[in-house]
Amino acid sequence: MADPFRLLEALVLLALLAGLLGLLLRRNLFLKLLAMDVMGSAVVALFVLLAARGGLRTPILEAPQLPQPALAWADPMPQAVILTAIVIGLSIQALLLVVLTRLARIDPLLDTASFEQLSGASSHG
Amino acid sequence: MAEISSALLTAWLLLPLLAAFTAPLLPSLARPLALLSAMLSAGMGLALSAGLGPWSLELIGPLGVLLQFDATAAPFVLLNGLVVLAVLLDGWRQPLNGPFAVLLMVLLAGLNSAFVAVDLVSLYVALEVVGITAFLLMLGQRSGLQLWIGLRYLLVGNTVMVIYLLGVALLYLRSGSFRMQALADLAPADGATSITLALLLVALLTKAGVFVSGLWLPRTHAEAPADVSALLSGVVVAGGLCPLLRLSQAVPMLQPLLVAIGLASALLGVSYALVETDLKRLLAWSTLSQVGLVIIDPFVGGVYALTHGLAKAGLFLLAGRVGERNLLRWRQSALPLQQAVPLWLGALSIAGAPPLLGFWAKEGLSRGVSGPASSVLLVAMVGTAAVYARLLLKPLAPASGPLPLGQALLALLLLAGGLLLAPLPAQGSLLKAAAVLVAGAGLELLLDLGRPALPKLERLDDLLGGIAVVGVVLMALLLGGGVPWAV
Repeated sequence: MADPFRLLEALVLLALLAGLLGLLLRRNLFLKLLAMDVMGSAVVALFVLLAARGGLRTPILEAPQLPQPALAWADPMPQAVILTAIVIGLSIQALLLVVLTRLARIDPLLDTASFEQLSGASSHG
Repeated sequence: MAEISSALLTAWLLLPLLAAFTAPLLPSLARPLALLSAMLSAGMGLALSAGLGPWSLELIGPLGVLLQFDATAAPFVLLNGLVVLAVLLDGWRQPLNGPFAVLLMVLLAGLNSAFVAVDLVSLYVALEVVGITAFLLMLGQRSGLQLWIGLRYLLVGNTVMVIYLLGVALLYLRSGSFRMQALADLAPADGATSITLALLLVALLTKAGVFVSGLWLPRTHAEAPADVSALLSGVVVAGGLCPLLRLSQAVPMLQPLLVAIGLASALLGVSYALVETDLKRLLAWSTLSQVGLVIIDPFVGGVYALTHGLAKAGLFLLAGRVGERNLLRWRQSALPLQQAVPLWLGALSIAGAPPLLGFWAKEGLSRGVSGPASSVLLVAMVGTAAVYARLLLKPLAPASGPLPLGQALLALLLLAGGLLLAPLPAQGSLLKAAAVLVAGAGLELLLDLGRPALPKLERLDDLLGGIAVVGVVLMALLLGGGVPWAV
């Protein structure tokens, strides 16, 4: 029987690669941002998967079932860590989208190439 | 080792943040609070450099935050305080621009946290705080170009931090720890360890602006407002450099690899700086080359970053005042004396002229490298001297207008530090420095006849591709059991 942990791990890595390829190959800026978010979500999934490696039970003890070594607890550490990363990722995505709406005034199609040509009014003056 | 309570260390780290949240409530206090925060940072940097400490601070248990106030962090913390101080003084006479002082304090606190953090999760949070703050600072007047540059910066920064988190997850899977030390304890020549190291390295190299993973740097630093450029080139890149030096100290097998990448970055940056026609872009390409030199020695690197950061911040502040950015017209207008002297001192320090601080740092760096690496280093130094020789060739006008306080402070530090640390350099190193400077001036005169065009490498796809290439090459080299040229 295939190890489900390995299988899920492979899926997560596939999602990560899909995001990376999207980031590299897409010309539309909005799709690039989405691809970056796909990468971020894949890493979040990886941390959750890491936490569930040892078991799936929520690590909260209730009075009648105190130390029972046979119970397989989930690892709370990676989940706690990735919660911070989710919040940071969300706020960065929000900032990027705000900037994107401003940039849409320059090129509503959000083609990367049209922003590469932007030049400062002050430079090369 | 002096004793110090952990409450005091925590207070030192959190005070700039507290000040930043107070400033919007009491706007008249914003500048004094920022000034105080910068001075506290510089004070801590001086204390750590003077041999007080090292202090270590562990919060919430062995899986929690671990901070190390030690000699590695010292020059970076000092640099942080001094550059922020100079930027504040520089803009003291102008009215405060919106949330500038608040962002400055958040940036200061974020960078200090990144310098002292030795657990990878705290480092992640600190670097993201620095990235977001730098992004908000560089938006400036919110022109189309500034929005585009800011978006590029945040997109690249967040992408590499996702890669970094992947490395952190792999480390936790293998060792059950987030500490940098846990990396050193892993089996060295093992496949999974190599991939973990490669992922962390590519993220930190990109944040520090090194080699092709740092191709985002020149345009970003050139198009930001002048005072923000000074912060970016002076200290923000150091947020990636300090953890790189820590990593290199903890895992010595990375050192040959970092020497190679660092020297490649030095050559790349110098080549583009030499053919550049825009003042701020020249300075930014030079930053890309200098951060490469920082990572080749994990112990001297911090001091090198300090001397470069002080000089480069001063030069960027000056670039904001000169008005003329086009180097083709550089020699047609004159520079008033009180701006020219800080320009000379900053440029000569990076070029490595005695008795300035930069000369002393270059000496330390040269002593650590041997074999073919030392000849490449010499070429990079000659190139750097040529880059800055170009800036020195500007006519002089009598002093007029107010003294630029921030730049004067930085230039004074470069001179005083150099005189204090290396009052009487050995004759051999003096001769070598003179030869490098003369060769640099010669190269500049030669290039003045006609500068070749180099391929443009700064489209968004080039930046992302550069990161991918560096990541793949790092993985291949580390999986192949280290670098082929290691002895």
